[in-house]
Amino acid sequence: MTGRSYREEIVAARAEGWHFAGLHATSDRAHVRTLLADSAGATRLETVAVQEGSVPTIVDLFPAAGWDEREAHDLQGVEFAGHEPLRPLVDHDLRLDRWTVPVRGHDAFQVAVGPIHAGIIESGHFRIHVVGERILHLDARLFYKHRGLERAAEGHTLDEGLAYATRACAACAVANGVAYAQACEDALGLTPDIELARVRTILLELERVWSHLNDLAAVCSGVGLAAGNNHFAGLTERARRLNARLTGHRFLFGTVHIGRSELTLHRDDVRAAADEVAALRGDARRGWHELRFNRSFQDRLPDIGIVDASTATRLGAVGPAARAAGLAEDLRASSPRLAYDGFEPVLPERAVGDVQARVEQRMLELEQTFEILERVLDGRIAPAAATPGAPAQPIGIGRVESPRGATSCILERRDDNIERLRLRTGSYANWPVVAFAAADNLLPDFPLINKSFELCYACADR
Amino acid sequence: MLTLLRDLRRLRRQLDLAPPARASSLAIRHVDAGSCNGCEHELTLLSSPYYDLQRFGLGIVASPRHADVLLVTGPVTSRMHEPLLVAYAAMPEPRRVAALGDCALGCNVLGAADAIVGPLDTILPVDLRIPGCPPTPEVIAQALLGLIDATLTA
Repeated sequence: MTGRSYREEIVAARAEGWHFAGLHATSDRAHVRTLLADSAGATRLETVAVQEGSVPTIVDLFPAAGWDEREAHDLQGVEFAGHEPLRPLVDHDLRLDRWTVPVRGHDAFQVAVGPIHAGIIESGHFRIHVVGERILHLDARLFYKHRGLERAAEGHTLDEGLAYATRACAACAVANGVAYAQACEDALGLTPDIELARVRTILLELERVWSHLNDLAAVCSGVGLAAGNNHFAGLTERARRLNARLTGHRFLFGTVHIGRSELTLHRDDVRAAADEVAALRGDARRGWHELRFNRSFQDRLPDIGIVDASTATRLGAVGPAARAAGLAEDLRASSPRLAYDGFEPVLPERAVGDVQARVEQRMLELEQTFEILERVLDGRIAPAAATPGAPAQPIGIGRVESPRGATSCILERRDDNIERLRLRTGSYANWPVVAFAAADNLLPDFPLINKSFELCYACADR
Repeated sequence: MLTLLRDLRRLRRQLDLAPPARASSLAIRHVDAGSCNGCEHELTLLSSPYYDLQRFGLGIVASPRHADVLLVTGPVTSRMHEPLLVAYAAMPEPRRVAALGDCALGCNVLGAADAIVGPLDTILPVDLRIPGCPPTPEVIAQALLGLIDATLTA
């Protein structure tokens, strides 16, 4: 013990370059734990005891902790002294002034959108404060899809818990599943063997392929470019068919297990998959080439929805959104439990954090993912396992770069049972950033700005 | 852009999709009542060139006022209960309700008891059940076309 208070520890950690990676209250509401990470991939947990129902806030030190503290208040009833006003997040207070930021002035009015949207879109509510067409501020109210997955998982065995993590979100099923499996293996003292690391890397990158292709299709649809949307939607379909051929499921459900992998594929099937990946790469490039030289498409993208590097750092942006702002943060560069040897994050030339940069970032990452897949889709895939060796611990941490950014999973266990499961996904980290990016833009650009992040509601709401 | 259009035309020829053969249409309002987003992602691909469901007159409409069918995904969370009822109440008669995916059907639902009020058929009269986790675009397409056919013969 250093004798330093919780806040002093956080202040010191921040000065040493640690950044915020998540915060949760324990299931007995007796402690709050803050997950910190550094850019080399190291993690540490700072735990503070809840006294008279309250702990000091750290939201002034790490604004990224805002949602985490509000969630711990709503779900575990912990107060955060100094976090004022502590607006409800998961709780849906009917009174508008309790959950929105007061915006007043001449001609200022509100546009309410959702929770049900005009299309095939997940449920969530946006309260957009505007003057004319200009957005002054956006209050996002999510958690309409809150299923209470984390508290429902408590008391179940570690194996049973996997379903709660993977089914939080179909679009991030592998990323969330691997983060959970890593957290369990960290707690159990297991280390994946080379083949297990390879299989999980293949699954994670297959998920990124369809996800990024889908994001490009979505941006085309946001601009109203039907041909581009159809091209990339067709490629998304092919990527999901490839998933089904390899694993029996279009979203790769059921492929991640704790401490092992059961996937078996003959060398010829792996080679056929590598061929299809190469074909997808060619067709994705072909589509991208057309998008690059389409004036009416390109005209919509620059200088809107800007999140610059300092804002991205301050708000704790992750994934393609952070990299498009010039932050070279990617957990794949520091994932010894996976097969990303020599990985370096890729950044766009014009990393200014606008819609154009985020769209370009997707294509750059797709190229990188195709390269990784061509490397790891080599030779038969055999059942694999994690081997014991490291000391077992009551708390395990798993971190994975999902298609939307850094996803952290913390598992607190008693023997083989879950005491607390916390899943903080890339979408969860980035939703407050979307709200920030919308401000000062035109209302009709909001759907496009939103699509340039293309976040999940499901794995934020859980 | 001509390249993309040419590619799409070639893909269309390769796929040789069945002609519409139905002189009818169905306007669908989708409501996500707490899904994992899997059903949504498959539903989205129904408009891709591989399925092109619009050729059958099937379309996702922007308001429940324009809808024949309420297509509901998810186990129905407590927070989506009221918006779901509001959307249903806004639909003109005759109207149909379709449950898309295992969660909406109440199968293998995960979650806390206080956060979920479904399954859907305890809240609204369900006319069409589309099982799967998630159902593939083929399965969704066949089920929706079946609903058109059943309506035509009724």
